[in-house]
Amino acid sequence: MQKNALKFLTLMLCIGVGSLYAQTGQNVKREFKFGKIAPAEFETKVSGADSSASAVKLFDVGECYFEISPSSSGFIYVFERHIRYKILNKNGYDLANFKVELYKSSGSAKEDLNYMDAATYNMVDGKMVTSKLNKDAKFTEEFNKNYVIKKFALPNVKEGSIIEFKYRIKSDFIFTLRGWKFQSSVPTLWSEYNVRIPEYFNYKTNMSGYYQVDHPLHQNVNASYIAGVSSNAVYDKYCVANIPALKDEPYVTTMDDYNPKIEFELRATNFPGDVYHDYNGSWSKIINELAQDENFGAYINKNSYAKSVLPGILKGEKDTLATVKLIFNYVKNNVKWDKHYSKYSDATNPKTLFEKKTGSSGDINLALLSLLKEAKIEAYPVLISTRENGMHPGYPLISAFNNVIAVTQIGNQLYFLDATDKDLPAGMLDYENLSHQGYYMDFKTFNGKWLSTEPSIASEKIFVYNMVLDKEHKLSGKINQYSKGYSALNLRNKYRKTNNETEFIKDLKKDKTGLEVSAYKIDNLDNLDELLSESMDVVIEDNVEEAGNLVYFTPLLFERTKENLFKLEERKFPVDFAYPFKESYRITVNFPEDYEIDKLPKGGIYKLPEENGTFTINYISEGKTLMIKSTINVNKSFYTPEEYFDLKELFKAVVEKQAEQIVFKKKG
Amino acid sequence: MRYYLSLAFGLLAMGSAFAQTDYDVAKIPDNLKKDAVMVVRNEESFFDVKGLGSARMDFKVAMTILNKAGEEYSEMAEVYDKFSSIYNIKATLYDATGKKIKDYKSSDIKDQSLISDFSIFEDNRLKLLKFVSVNYPYTIEYSYSQDYNGILYFPSWRDIKGFGVSVEKSSYTIQKAKNYKMRYLTSRNLQTDSVIIGEKVQYKWKSANVAAVASEPLSTGIDNISAWVKASPNQFEYDGSSGNFDNWQNFGSWLYNLNQGGNKLPEATKLMVQNLIKDAKTPKEKIRILYNHLQQNTRYVSVQLGIGGFRPILAEKVAQVNYGDCKALSNYMKALLNEAGIASNLIVIGNDMPSLNPNYSSMGQANHMILCVPMPKDTTFLECTSQYKPMGFVGYSNSDRNVLMVTENGGKIVHTPAYNPKENYQIRKTKITLAEDGTASSEIRSTYGNAQFEENFSMTLMEPVELRKRIIEDSPIPVAELTSYKYLQPDKTVPVLTEEINFKTNPILTKGGDKLFLVVIQINRRESVPLKVENRKTYFAVPFGYNDDDEISYILPKGYNVEFLPKDITITSEFGSYTAKFSVKDNTIVYNRTQTMNNKKYAPEKYGEYVDFYKKIYQADKQKAVLAKTL
Repeated sequence: MQKNALKFLTLMLCIGVGSLYAQTGQNVKREFKFGKIAPAEFETKVSGADSSASAVKLFDVGECYFEISPSSSGFIYVFERHIRYKILNKNGYDLANFKVELYKSSGSAKEDLNYMDAATYNMVDGKMVTSKLNKDAKFTEEFNKNYVIKKFALPNVKEGSIIEFKYRIKSDFIFTLRGWKFQSSVPTLWSEYNVRIPEYFNYKTNMSGYYQVDHPLHQNVNASYIAGVSSNAVYDKYCVANIPALKDEPYVTTMDDYNPKIEFELRATNFPGDVYHDYNGSWSKIINELAQDENFGAYINKNSYAKSVLPGILKGEKDTLATVKLIFNYVKNNVKWDKHYSKYSDATNPKTLFEKKTGSSGDINLALLSLLKEAKIEAYPVLISTRENGMHPGYPLISAFNNVIAVTQIGNQLYFLDATDKDLPAGMLDYENLSHQGYYMDFKTFNGKWLSTEPSIASEKIFVYNMVLDKEHKLSGKINQYSKGYSALNLRNKYRKTNNETEFIKDLKKDKTGLEVSAYKIDNLDNLDELLSESMDVVIEDNVEEAGNLVYFTPLLFERTKENLFKLEERKFPVDFAYPFKESYRITVNFPEDYEIDKLPKGGIYKLPEENGTFTINYISEGKTLMIKSTINVNKSFYTPEEYFDLKELFKAVVEKQAEQIVFKKKG
Repeated sequence: MRYYLSLAFGLLAMGSAFAQTDYDVAKIPDNLKKDAVMVVRNEESFFDVKGLGSARMDFKVAMTILNKAGEEYSEMAEVYDKFSSIYNIKATLYDATGKKIKDYKSSDIKDQSLISDFSIFEDNRLKLLKFVSVNYPYTIEYSYSQDYNGILYFPSWRDIKGFGVSVEKSSYTIQKAKNYKMRYLTSRNLQTDSVIIGEKVQYKWKSANVAAVASEPLSTGIDNISAWVKASPNQFEYDGSSGNFDNWQNFGSWLYNLNQGGNKLPEATKLMVQNLIKDAKTPKEKIRILYNHLQQNTRYVSVQLGIGGFRPILAEKVAQVNYGDCKALSNYMKALLNEAGIASNLIVIGNDMPSLNPNYSSMGQANHMILCVPMPKDTTFLECTSQYKPMGFVGYSNSDRNVLMVTENGGKIVHTPAYNPKENYQIRKTKITLAEDGTASSEIRSTYGNAQFEENFSMTLMEPVELRKRIIEDSPIPVAELTSYKYLQPDKTVPVLTEEINFKTNPILTKGGDKLFLVVIQINRRESVPLKVENRKTYFAVPFGYNDDDEISYILPKGYNVEFLPKDITITSEFGSYTAKFSVKDNTIVYNRTQTMNNKKYAPEKYGEYVDFYKKIYQADKQKAVLAKTL
């Protein structure tokens, strides 16, 4: 398991830099002055894949530096941004409506929009006409108690207009600084971020994405923060020229993982006359901090609630796995997830959660750990960055995590525990948490390490059809379906979300024209560790056809894969399914005496290199019985862009082979 | 959608105090549990009209959430703005036996802005509380008061909130002074009780013991199965404005007056207009030039604040900034036309909403504004928020409905143009050259008109890479290699779009023994039949009427001939008609398919016939030709 995670990390770190846009190497000194537009900027054109882009970002320049707040006398950071676009067509008009989000805490700490200017420029009869942002086109939306959104709408925007925005934010929140994304939905000619960090601060920087960002400057510069005290800052410049638009692709974690970006999190402060403060600078520091955090380690340690309920839950149970499951089920059955991810608890005592009966993933899974601890089970928190949150860079960066789960080892087996979904059995994580790895922490030894979260059991679905074909071309018989892993999880979720079984069967029949179902039965709906199985009696019309004296049908009936999942010609990014999956079909048909099989299709096996995926189909006939077996096996959760073509070919074979008809000849 | 009323959503009606607090689920009658995801145990709305511009709502509701499918109802989400503050909120959660689990604190209730996705700014806000329970069923209860400072319309009321909801008890009371004039509409057979209490009159409507109806496909709504009330003041005051809504004419006068003086243009704009139209001969040409100017130079930006949700921004202002919402842009266009000597009228319209009721004038039946240019022969309607619509084409969501024309003599109900099924066409010719391995090269030529033009228009705006992806993803014939494609609107003034796609296919012939099978309809094939609905309750309709016309020619691989060809089919019904014709000539199969669907509203009991109609089409569409090797 551990090996897997490492392999994955390596893969993510040696991301290549391929691009049609060569670095132009124009080292012309660029000038970014508000309102100063060079006539040539109106002539900007785009080419290649972006030739009909809605707009082009002429430049996007950011500054991030520190100053002393006159009100608090502490350090705050200043973020300045200056963006200029050329609007190429009407699809780009939305860029002229701009917004800035500002955060405020429940205390007095907040962010202010300290300066804002914006304008539209149009070429009219060879002369540039400037339209400034109107006063009545500025709006303040009090979104909720933590967020204020400032909104702006620029006047006189047309095809060919140049628009620009420049603003400055002053922020009290210096633990994480505003990062920078170098790519956007429109092509960018120039993007740069200049960061000046006082010598008193040390930040971890996280650069990620599928595009090379230049780092031409890293130097000490003079900076004066307090009158009369001279000091230094470290000045870094990051930039990129001519970067194409970032376009969505399916089967990814989040597109943000592919956008070249830089993020900052405070590692340490070192003020003259003060001791060196380490803020999560290393894994051991992070583990130490979390172990004591009242919304993390100290929360787990509060045992009054656990003490009061454990005897009733365990009733003397001694077996470790059984104990874990009893506690796990207790938490799942007594609190409901509020659909928010958090790596911290909201309250400071698990008792609050069980009173409220609802909470975030942090509340729930840390409370689970609290109960397990009190029951003397060796269980540990595992920090996760969900798929939506994006890939964690791998080095000590607490802000890149947004969720926590638990893990326990019983015998040689690791069990991941996530109590946010009643239908998740011990050992299984839901789709969002399948980001390949999580960071495990031991609060006794203060050790931690990355663990692979790759699912150990594949998701599997088995279809068994036993049919009799009559001369009216009606198929009747029994269907059995078995679901394991994620197939089972999805089926349970769907079943519970449906009002009643009648509605469920309606839904089941929806895209299966000709199917009539009776005696539907589902077993092990609530026994998560058992095979989820469905059975039903069916009559199928409209699927066997006649042409002259020929009678024919596609034997996989409703389970035939009709379309290739992978139709696109090229793929830039890896295919990330989250989990491997397998589908198998076994179909038996008894046909009438006076029918003869004309000629059976050929069976076959199709394999990806290294057996990373297989497809098989086989036909057997004996007397008046025909049997078809087929399996699709996608063995990995993660395929490189190069492997995409293999996947595409595999599924092409699936679609083609499964479409082949069985043909009967009528005698006489 | 480009809406213009800032708060035209039918606010749920709101009530008084509860006597009953026994929420034991066991006490719900079985007939109310059948097909239900949620049961309204008791709902009481009490709306007290205190004067022309002031009212108070007291609302109280208790709902039992029966299972996970009912969870969407497990919240309080109430809208307010600065003219309608909400206070006195109380909320409680009960378990299945009716035992109180907890009272919510005011800190549990979230307060957030509520801005529709088409606007950049509005003054609506939301009080939000999600009720959470681990076990089902459970009961939620909440109540609040809301003070209205300014009344444009009364909250409406409906007993069942949707499919899967049953009702034990629900009521709505409006209290007003004897001499205060109001009008109301109710569902059929709903009894109105009125009592006089001193100087006040109370109207009361109630509903009890209503069973749930399971969700029905293609439904036109639950109006015919629910009890409902819509009510409106005659005289009103709102945000410094007052008027009279007692008929559409007066309603129109109010809007006309609200907009007085909003039609002036700056001198520069006037000059520009004169310059633009100086060579134009006919009024039609002038309209075309000015509409084109509007589309090229303005964009849609919506800001809805108080009375600004009804009054267009001055034309002068729009001339300066070149943006605005539907009211601002329609009014600006009106001013441009006026400068060109062409009279026009603002039109209040329900975009994607039912027609205005000619006999009942009220706020809330419309959400949008367009412009009408009356002409002796061909009156033209202009959708001013679109940068792309051909002149005079208002789009399907504005078509064929009663709307209010605002004139100097007040409001007048008129009707927008209708696009009939024949006009919403898709005409397609496809040539498919088959190879022996089952692959083919395919050439598709299509023309789309009106509603189908609208459906496909976005293809002309997509970036080439995205468009390529989209064509490959959407193609019903599996694409092996897309060789070329083109989307064009040959004439910008006509809602017609052409499409050309050429590609090599993955195998489309399927093998079966020695034979090859060909599904003769490769594109536009009906792949499923709607499910039957037993004992349907609501009316249904297809989303829009249309006409599809396909001709596909297959050139067979060398050495094969046609062993079997399906027979011609004609299916007709009141829902539409279908024909399929097959013929072989030399080495070519020619297939012709037509389908025309009407867009009428059908009675619930017709649904079985509708399903049968589609079943026949489905069966006809999956017919196959059989090819055999020539010896």
